[in-house]
This record gives sequence, C-alpha cells and structure tokens, in this order.
Amino acid sequence: MTDEEGAAAPTPRVWNLIAELTYRCPLRCPYCSNPEGFASIRDGLSADEWGRVFREAAALGAVHVGLTGGEPSARRDLIAIVRHAADAELFPHLVTAGVPLGAAGLAPLRDAGLRSVQLSIQDATAAASDAIAGTASFDRKLEVAREARRLGLALTLNVVLHRHNLANVAALIALARELDADRLELANAQYDGFALRNRDALLPTREQLEAASAVVTAERQRAKRPELQWVLPDYFSGRPKPCMGGWGRGLVVVAPDGLVLPCHAARDLPGLEFWNARAHSLAACWNDAPGMNAYRGESWMREPCRSCPERARDFGGCRCQAHRLTGDAANTDPACALAPQRDAITAARERAVDTAAWVYRGS
Amino acid sequence: MSNDATPWTPVEFEARLRKVGTERYHDKHPFNLRMHAGTLTQDELRTWVRNRYYYQTRIPVKDAAILGKSGDSAFRREWVQRLHDHDGRAPGEGGLELWLRLAQAVGLARGEVTSLTFVLPGVRRACDAYVDLVERADLLTAVAASLTEMFAGDIMTARIAAFERHYPWVDAEGLAYFRSRTTVAPRDAAFGLAFVLEHAATHADQQRCLDALASKCEILWGLLDAVEAAHRQPRLAPHALLREDKERPGHLLAVLPERGVRVSESGREILKLCDGTRTSDAIAVALRNRHPEIEHITTDVHEFLDQMERLGVILRDG
Repeated sequence: MTDEEGAAAPTPRVWNLIAELTYRCPLRCPYCSNPEGFASIRDGLSADEWGRVFREAAALGAVHVGLTGGEPSARRDLIAIVRHAADAELFPHLVTAGVPLGAAGLAPLRDAGLRSVQLSIQDATAAASDAIAGTASFDRKLEVAREARRLGLALTLNVVLHRHNLANVAALIALARELDADRLELANAQYDGFALRNRDALLPTREQLEAASAVVTAERQRAKRPELQWVLPDYFSGRPKPCMGGWGRGLVVVAPDGLVLPCHAARDLPGLEFWNARAHSLAACWNDAPGMNAYRGESWMREPCRSCPERARDFGGCRCQAHRLTGDAANTDPACALAPQRDAITAARERAVDTAAWVYRGS
Repeated sequence: MSNDATPWTPVEFEARLRKVGTERYHDKHPFNLRMHAGTLTQDELRTWVRNRYYYQTRIPVKDAAILGKSGDSAFRREWVQRLHDHDGRAPGEGGLELWLRLAQAVGLARGEVTSLTFVLPGVRRACDAYVDLVERADLLTAVAASLTEMFAGDIMTARIAAFERHYPWVDAEGLAYFRSRTTVAPRDAAFGLAFVLEHAATHADQQRCLDALASKCEILWGLLDAVEAAHRQPRLAPHALLREDKERPGHLLAVLPERGVRVSESGREILKLCDGTRTSDAIAVALRNRHPEIEHITTDVHEFLDQMERLGVILRDG
C-alpha cells in the first residue's frame, strides 16, 4: 500500500529543494559547509522570488524544502518565505542554529506552515558548545528545542562530530532524549571547505569513532526514541559517501544569490557553468545547465568507478572531495579504498593531533 | 571481544543469564504490568489470549527442531517430554488444549482461536522469529534461548493470583494452563540451565547464549508490543503533511521530515479513521464490516497500521 520516495529512481527528479536563504550566520563553526567566498555572496532573492522557486520546484516533483543557510532566521522575511513554501504544498523544514531565531520566533513560523525544525548544537554542554560555535548560544538553542516540541513541530537535533566532542556522544543522546527530539543526527564532519582547512585539529581517531559507535549501538537497543542517525565517516569506512544521493539526481540546492547547484559546495569547483534561478526557470537550471549535467549519471566516471558494482549505491562519492584532494573532480573520491589517490586520506588520518588549533569561519 | 577471553565461572555465567531476565523479561512489559494490576479491559485480555495462542502453537514446533539437533538419546528423552506436555498423549490433553480452555473461559470461540485468522501480524512476526532463531541456531544456543523458562514460574504464580483477584469473570478452570506451568517451567528450566552451563565451554559460547536469551526476551516483548498496539488509538503525526499525489490520482502522499510515503486508496480509507478516538482493533473491524469480501482484511489493516507507525505517519502513543 505504500512505497517510499526516491528509491532507486532511474531518472533524475527533484524530490528535495535545499533553499539556502542567506550565508549570514552569527555562528563561526570551524567546519562550516558554506562555500569559500560566502561573505561576498549577497541575498539575491526576495521572499516573492523564493515563492516562485518553490512553486517551480513543486511542479518538478519536489516534496520537501529545507530552509537553510547560513542561518535562515537571519532573514527578516522568513515568515513570508515559510508561507510561500506551505502555499506551494511543500513540506517546510527549517535548518537553524536557533539564533537569532529564539524560542519566540517559532510560533509565527508554525502558524505560517512550518512542520519541522532541525536545530544544531555543537556539543552537550554550554561551555563546550559555545567554544565551537564561537559565540554564546547554547542556552537559547535549548529554549528553541523545547518550544518546537511544545508547538508540535518535528524536532531533529544535529551535532557535527569531531575529535573534540566525539567522547560526548552518550551525553548528546541523553540531551536529545531529555528534549524529546524525534531524531538526533550524529553527523561526523565532512572535510570540505572550512573543515578541510581545520582538518588536523578536527579529524578524530579510529578509537574515538569505535567507542562512539558502540555507544550508539547500545542506545539504539535501549530506546526507540530519538532515532539515532550515525554513519561511520568516509575517512574511516573505506567507502565513499553517496554524496547528495548522486549529482543532480534527487536534490537541488538554490544558493542565496539564486545559483542553482547540485550541492552546497559545487560552486567552488572550477570550470562548471551553473545557471541562476533569477534568469532561468528552475526546470532549465536543473535539466539543462552544463554544470548540472557534468557529473550526472555514470558517463563521466573513470576506472575504478566505471566498472564498480558499488557505483549505483555511492555514485562515485563526492566530487568536491575528489577535486580538493586530487585536483580533479572526475577522479574517484579518495575516501574509497579502491581509489588510486587513497594516500590523501590515509596521510591526513596520521597528521591529525589533539594539539592542532582551529580557525573559526570568518564573519 | 577476543575469542580467547577466559570463560566466566559457571556461577558468574548463570548470574549473567539471570540478569538478562531481570532486565528484559516480559514480566516488566507495560501490558503485563497492567494485566497483573487488573486494568485490562475484557477486549484487551481476549486479544492477548487469542494472540498468545499462536505462540503456544509454535512451542512444540520449536522443541521438535531442538530435538533434531541432538545426537544424544539421553538429551532427547528429556526434551521430548516437552512435546508431550504441549501436545498431550491423546486428543484433548496437553498445554495447547489447556490454553484453548483459557480462551473459552475469557469468552472466545474455540474455532476463532484455532483458525489463527485474527492473529496480529506483529505477533506472527515475533513468534515466527523465535522458530527461525531456533532453527538456524546450534543446539547450545537454541537451548539457551529457551531459558526464559527460568523466569516463567514466578510470572505464572503472579498471574494466577491476578486473575483470581481482578478478573473474576474468567472461570477458574480456565487457569489450568498457568497452574501446570508453575511446576513444569522450573523443571524444564533446571534441565536447560544445567545443559547450557555444562556445554558453554568458551567465552564465545557463553556470549552466544546470552545473546540468544536476550533475543528471545525481545521476541516475547515484541509480542506484547503488538497486542498492546491493537488497543491503542492511532492518530496522524501532528507534523505529517497529507496531500494528493499528483503522479498517482486517488493516492495520497504523506510527507514527513525525512521521507514521503505513498498511500494507496485503500490505505487512505484506513488513515481517515486514524483520528485518535478508535483503536487499531476497532479500525480493523470497521474495515472488515465495510469489505467483508476481502480475505484477511483485518490482518492487512493491522499490517498497514504497523507500517505507518514505523514510518512515522501515525502515532500510537497513548
């Protein structure tokens, strides 16, 4: 009587729209996933223009819209944007750091049609969380979490994990349980962008990961809630991540300036032409922009991907990671144990130390 | 854990086996606690008896599988006693027959119970998982899984007292099964325990036994989960977004934070009744009355509701 969306869809089809409303953010996390030149990228789309993008995405088949950034609540017209998303019959999901939003900011968004909130915390205690965020925010985040549950919104907590907080996974799970979160994303840092710059300071040890993994397994058995999302990171699993579920396959990102991308970092890849939703229809940006088709499907693949049975599951991994670590985005993601440039990963694992300092994302 | 770790002493190993029961045996399941506290409705008690009968039918099947794993006639001579206990030596005898008397005492028709038509899919899954576990296991692990009997004597004594006190409408003769188990379960458990303590020679063997016993506890727990869910009142998750599925006319798309779920027209009819006022059981009955021509419809409805709960479309939390 049912089937779930997106299961092995043979042809590209937009299921999920990631709407990056702004790159402004009061937090300065050293693993920020925004592109390098984020500070010079302005908020180019008005609330009404986002409305048009939402309607076009829905017409392409989109079901979800993730309202993200930067920090989406840095936009003063967020309520109007949420209303546009709900009017387009999309499921609006807010990805927020909780500031400047604040608990009081949630009820108007819920009334505008918001259904679900993903709240980031940086660690299990105020001191540790604020140290990573680079700003005092933890207590306000917890207020946002409680208010979200009080309003009947679905709540996901997201924690980016690294060398300095992996030991606190049990405390994070306890906190998520106390906050009655539906889901806890224990998201190991992806070493692209800022996180790559800070890799020596953030990359964990295998022992840390194994200990955390054991905690997750035990906690999953202990209680059904919250649902725990935990995946061994690609640097340690020997398998590349199925990045974005495949390039231009089911998920489309629209950046604050209107650029339509297959992932949040793809604009930093050289030589790719993407189109802007202010100048073209979303359908054209999705179907026809040369950059969107550059790594779609399998014809771009080289060996060992080209003949690998795993390619239907991992899509050759992450193009951005291949570019950053090997200099060519069409190479096999070095996170794969079969990749010729595998050394880039193993060497990095050996370089990471407790004493390395990180730099915060600039403002 | 390394394979050459030192095995626990028999005393310590037994303590660990017992600890599994202390922590995970279904005497602590909320449904069992309510049964013994006297707060189950007649309908809930009937659902339990009707469904637990399926478990009873699996026990001799499981024991026959264990018999087939042993090359030792002394072991088989002992273990075959369990088949006689459940099936009797003649028609009208044995534990299964006693369970049917319990069914009649709570107001169920024999045929309705023996037909297995109204066994909840979650209960069927749990019981089949037990037989499957035993069939795939080696003799030692299979026997270890049966050690929940160590905890069964106590639960039966408590149950008899609870029935006499709280459910006087159940004829005392119906309790004969529970009475028989107060003596049989400890005897069986003593044999099983001695066998496991003697034959789990390595640390790895012991760990396997503990895991098997824990899995068995989980299976019994799952059985009660399913029975309990049948009397809960499903409602749509507050954040679920229901909309028409533009690509499949008549179908619904239930959108959740992490997924979209396509729901057919028949599923849609069931979801419409998930308003927090009807139990899953009542919804299944309503659908059966509407569509008497569809075979197994109550099973399908429960299966659908289980699936919707798993996917987060509905909640059955109260």
